[in-house]
Amino acid sequence: MGLLSIIRKIKRKEKEMRILMVGLDNSGKTTIVLKINGEDTSVISPTLGFNIKTIQYQKYSLNIWDVGGQKTIRSYWRNYFEQTDGLVWVVDSSDVRRLDDCRAELHNLLKEERLAGASLLVFANKQDIQGALKPAEIAKVLNLAAMDKDRHWKIVGCSAYTGDGLLQGFDWLVQDVASRIYVLD
Amino acid sequence: MDPSPSNAAAATAAGMEPELDNSKPAAAGNRKHLAMLERLSKRSATTSVASPEASPVSAFLSRFAAGKVAAESALSACRSSPDDAPASLAAAASAIDDLERLAAEASHSLPPYELRSALASVSDLRAAHKLAASEIRPKKSFSFRNKSKATKTPQQDPPTLPQPPTEQPKPTFDAVLPGFAFRSRNGATLVKDLRIANEKDGDFTLADLVSCEVYLKGKCRALYIHKLRDCRLFVGPVFGSVLIEDVERCTFVMAAHQIRIHEARATDFYLRVRSRPIIEDCCGVRFAPHALKYEGIEKDLRDSGLEEDTGNWANVDDFKWLRAVQSPNWSLIPEEERLQTVDISEVQAREDSS
Repeated sequence: MGLLSIIRKIKRKEKEMRILMVGLDNSGKTTIVLKINGEDTSVISPTLGFNIKTIQYQKYSLNIWDVGGQKTIRSYWRNYFEQTDGLVWVVDSSDVRRLDDCRAELHNLLKEERLAGASLLVFANKQDIQGALKPAEIAKVLNLAAMDKDRHWKIVGCSAYTGDGLLQGFDWLVQDVASRIYVLD
Repeated sequence: MDPSPSNAAAATAAGMEPELDNSKPAAAGNRKHLAMLERLSKRSATTSVASPEASPVSAFLSRFAAGKVAAESALSACRSSPDDAPASLAAAASAIDDLERLAAEASHSLPPYELRSALASVSDLRAAHKLAASEIRPKKSFSFRNKSKATKTPQQDPPTLPQPPTEQPKPTFDAVLPGFAFRSRNGATLVKDLRIANEKDGDFTLADLVSCEVYLKGKCRALYIHKLRDCRLFVGPVFGSVLIEDVERCTFVMAAHQIRIHEARATDFYLRVRSRPIIEDCCGVRFAPHALKYEGIEKDLRDSGLEEDTGNWANVDDFKWLRAVQSPNWSLIPEEERLQTVDISEVQAREDSS
């Protein structure tokens, strides 16, 4: 991280973090955001565009950008990369057929220079479904171990449907980002 | 414009209390810190990135408009005077960066429409900048990209390189798939009662079926449908999402919370859905309201939160047609052509899932 970005963070009155949620369509990104915010998750249309939520989390203010995952609009993801502190990649753990697509899109995303410094949280979502793959299996298929050296990452199994695992994941992400960008406290 | 509360700031989630203490002992230090912050923000005011909360939407809009004019004039300058082009390009780039930052910093105080249009104009400007840059110095920008890529990605390349032939490994994945499924059948009648022997909420997969009739009674948590030709499907409530990909000349009767339809051709959907169904890369798909009956479906619908028809079956979003006028890819089925309510009570399980 450069000096410039340190100064930028100090300048902010509130301790803000910018979190970008991405993943294939049908992975549950919007449901996760609404669930963690304590909102109704029973009527969610597939995201046409994006949603932004500001959530107070511990002493931080999280700016969560939840960007639609349909194939047509994935090319617009890059419009949201700037100043991302934390990246959340959401996987539908029961959609085994598209795991290859999922891996390709993820690695494509991680090549992006503007995301080079961002911590990566992978949510292995839909763990409540019977046939869902376990987080360890997802990590293997996505080849997450390959980036041990150049990125902070963690995979957490969760269910946006029941809420299991969501706080655990965000706890890690917020702590990891904070330890990186708010070193001066 | 939609001042929807979903984008409002604040919102304390269950289990996430903001920490309020720890302010007193550091009060003196805080004051000093605040004074410093103020000085810093004053200094940066000239670069037009002052704090967004001091000024509401109109201030943001005027500042954004000013920045946009600056960026546009820099862009047009590099066309009109090719000699100074590199400098103008750089000026345009930094102006665009400023705009993007401005929009990002004001994001939580802006109404969604303003934010969206701001981001849209930023991306338009970026595209224009890229075009101008490629016209003026195509080689330079190209070689710069190459270089940074080469130094950055050698480690990530190996895992992504074997991507193109992804079609091959897929069948092996399918072969080891757990869960319930009907796969690779031709001309069969496939019946499954999900209410029997189902201790945990499961998903169900229908893949590679040709000329089949499929009856699923009972509810399931998620439904995945892939590669169907000339099939007719009658499915009980799905209290999660349905994902459909690559179907042709089929008829679907189903109820679900979410429905995503990709690459469907000449297919009819009889839906009850809580949210808006979406289509992507589809043509000739038609929609009508749900029309399915079996003994106990009312209870299954109720348990799945699908007892009422929201009328959303007709509110289709086409991701390939983001305009106000009706998409040419889908239509409603005229009432006289619609199926009568189909009663599948008498259909008995004939094929067990594999």
